[in-house]
Amino acid sequence: MEKLLEMAKKVCDQAEVYSYEPATSSVLFENAKLHDIESSIHAGVSLRIIKDGKLGFAYTRNILNRNEILQNALDSLKGKVEAEYDFPLTTEISDLKTFDPSIEDLTTSRMVDELCRISEQFQSKTDAEISLDSYKHIEKIMIMNSQGTDINSKNGGFGFYLGLIFPGGASSISRSQSYFTFKKTPQNLVNEMIEFYNSSQKVIEPKSGKMKVLWMPKSMHTLTWRILSGTSAKSIYERISPIAEKIGKKIFDEKLTIHDAPLDDKYPWTRAFDDEGVNCHPLSIIENGVLKSFYYDLNFAKKLNTKSTGHGYRTSRWGGEAIGIKPNPNLTHLQIKPGNASFSELLKFMDKGMIIEGAMGAHSGNIPNGDYSVGVSPGFYVENGEIIGRVKDAMIAGNVYDTLKNVIAIEDTLHPSWSGRFPAILCDDVSVATKKYD
Amino acid sequence: MFEKLKKILQKVDADYSDIRYEQKKDCVITFNGKELTRIGSNSTDGFVVRILKNGGLSSVAFTKETDADTAIKSALENAVLIGKNIKKPIQLAKVPVVKETFFPEMNEDPRKITISEKLELVRKYNDIPLKNYKIVNTNIGYVDTIREKYFVTSEGSEIREDLITTRVGGLITSKEGNLIQNIRVSSGGSDGFYNVRNQEDNFANKTRLVLDLLKAKPVKAGVFNCILNPSLAGVFAHEAFGHFSEADIIETLPAMRQKMQIGSKLGSDVLNIIDDATMPNQLGFYKYDDEGVAVRSTQLMKNGILTGRLHSRRTAFEFDEPISGHCVAEDYRFAPIIRMGTIYIEGSTPTFDELLESLQDGLYIVDAKGGQTAGENFTFGAQYGYVVKDGKLAGMIRDINISGNLYQTMKDIIMVSNDLVLTKTGGCGKGQTNIRSCHGAPHILVNNVVMGGV
Repeated sequence: MEKLLEMAKKVCDQAEVYSYEPATSSVLFENAKLHDIESSIHAGVSLRIIKDGKLGFAYTRNILNRNEILQNALDSLKGKVEAEYDFPLTTEISDLKTFDPSIEDLTTSRMVDELCRISEQFQSKTDAEISLDSYKHIEKIMIMNSQGTDINSKNGGFGFYLGLIFPGGASSISRSQSYFTFKKTPQNLVNEMIEFYNSSQKVIEPKSGKMKVLWMPKSMHTLTWRILSGTSAKSIYERISPIAEKIGKKIFDEKLTIHDAPLDDKYPWTRAFDDEGVNCHPLSIIENGVLKSFYYDLNFAKKLNTKSTGHGYRTSRWGGEAIGIKPNPNLTHLQIKPGNASFSELLKFMDKGMIIEGAMGAHSGNIPNGDYSVGVSPGFYVENGEIIGRVKDAMIAGNVYDTLKNVIAIEDTLHPSWSGRFPAILCDDVSVATKKYD
Repeated sequence: MFEKLKKILQKVDADYSDIRYEQKKDCVITFNGKELTRIGSNSTDGFVVRILKNGGLSSVAFTKETDADTAIKSALENAVLIGKNIKKPIQLAKVPVVKETFFPEMNEDPRKITISEKLELVRKYNDIPLKNYKIVNTNIGYVDTIREKYFVTSEGSEIREDLITTRVGGLITSKEGNLIQNIRVSSGGSDGFYNVRNQEDNFANKTRLVLDLLKAKPVKAGVFNCILNPSLAGVFAHEAFGHFSEADIIETLPAMRQKMQIGSKLGSDVLNIIDDATMPNQLGFYKYDDEGVAVRSTQLMKNGILTGRLHSRRTAFEFDEPISGHCVAEDYRFAPIIRMGTIYIEGSTPTFDELLESLQDGLYIVDAKGGQTAGENFTFGAQYGYVVKDGKLAGMIRDINISGNLYQTMKDIIMVSNDLVLTKTGGCGKGQTNIRSCHGAPHILVNNVVMGGV
């Protein structure tokens, strides 16, 4: 890495070398039986160079030939991609817990035993088709740049996913959790899933109309993806955010506070610096319903005449490999502040309505505009504050900037989900379409 | 390279093993609005080893040759661990040993086109929407992806095949007041650079549509009889039906496996579905899958009756059904899984106008905008559509998302037209992305579709 940086420095104004080495093992149970074990050990290097305000970008797996990756980066300079920003000089980084060495000793055999134990419990108490997986992941990130930054981080974690599938339908109840190292599955999580599953056996066909809807953490991405789009510096720059002019204005119900918490080391995958070597900080996005901030990487911060908030990540919503993705603004540690209501209190407040256990098609539709229109997979129907069955063929639709103005109550606990940790949120007046009409 | 791979396999003490080495080359050009935001060519590589031992099958992917010993050791241990924990040992269906080098015929090899020529072509397309002031943004790009594959098995197969995919397209966004609308545009294919040339009319047409969408009415929630255009009907064939033709999906869902038995009548008489990746010059074309099995044309449904399934060697043995050659990986980072190749609803005799005449009142919905399935339930977005009144297209509608039940919808497809179209770009995500996932259909008329509205 040092040699590549030295070579690059000689021929351009600025250079950055990013190295990423992930190693993963995963164990998969299908239909309550061990189905597959896969592992991977990857390494890769990505090079960004800046010359005369233009960007060069290249990456490779194996630096067999330093000249080749440098030449690829120099060739891409010819496209004249603008890069007005400077790579940062980061010498001090927050002292965070990112890694628990005991994860190194975790064997796939131990992971198989634990999933066997959980599988047996589910089998004895439900008639569900059982799908479980768990993984162990360790990654090393190193960033060096011509300003003198030379930082690295080793992150690790163990996680699992538990799914109870309704036979024939394949819609499911699922929960996931992640820790710094191996932990036994909490019994209350298993019990809660069994209870949900058994209380939603009956298929209910509610009538279409507006009703109270409880967003579970697992379906929250339907809403958060639209907020992520609206508050990204990229959307602001591209003039496709409907809330570009709303900083300091109340856009959601005052019960709603949303922030990014990369330094919160109660949970794994903490980050002291982003993928551009900028220090991470907590960032308030929404405070008591008021829009506080957008999030920036180096590139869009410069274009919009402000500073990076430490949100330049080499990720994309559709996957892809870190070394091949240019940093772009992303919120990766989103949290919605818990409220005061327990889950059973939320059901009482709800009285009658639908719990959105899973949402299908959240990635389609007019995301920039905040619109969503998703299939429930499944929904649980609630009457008199109790779950009476599950809903299959139904769709819920609305606009995030309307839906989150009508928050009735927020759960008091955070649960991990895609791109963050969220409590369940009860909203009023959400449109539900089914095959039944008045 | 084959010698190097055989040397690595020789170290493996197992009942069966295979190794795939790939060099992946891609060229990416991206515009966001007027700005070029990315350009460059890159090359990456890596290995995937699969090991069958004592009734367990496990895989490992690695990128450094020096990691080979560690990687093989962990795959061996995991295979044995699986073998110990399952009652029925895993076996692979028997297949012929193949030694072949296969390079597809190209109409202009993208490797021979300069990056500056590619850039000028994308710039020209990107400028088409940007001429209009109501177009606030574009995300238009060009990608070519070249997989140069070497595959060796302990049974003696040695296969060298290239997969070369080109695509151009992206998203055009219009805005008026607070209303934002967008539309997708794309072209591409598996047989050369010519697939991305001459797309000016395509870009101009999509620009006009996304401007029209600013004036379109949001669709009302409700239940409608609908005509789905070929793109959307193809998504139904792929998402709602196709994934449950993949043996690895239903293998572990006992209730669905029971329902999807070969010979079961599941759809209406007019429904015929086939997967045929052997057709050259289509996006989904390939010769050998990533288990070294030659792909076969597979009839999945005939007159509404389930007639076949897509298999890997493992599931073909497990189901005791014919091998089909559908076990494919995204690239060197992954072990292969069962994927559709070119799946489509076969055409019938009526014309599109005859479908409109038969529909009378309902909706005509056009072009896919993402879809997802969970078992029998599916949700798809459409990019735009029209109200149909007295058999004629009336006002334009937007914000279209439909949801339905697979089994019910297969019965509710009452008419299929004669105008089959196959997709030119793909991106199926089943843990891995398959950019060559090709699907298609003619227009289809479906009763009782649930529309989400906004």
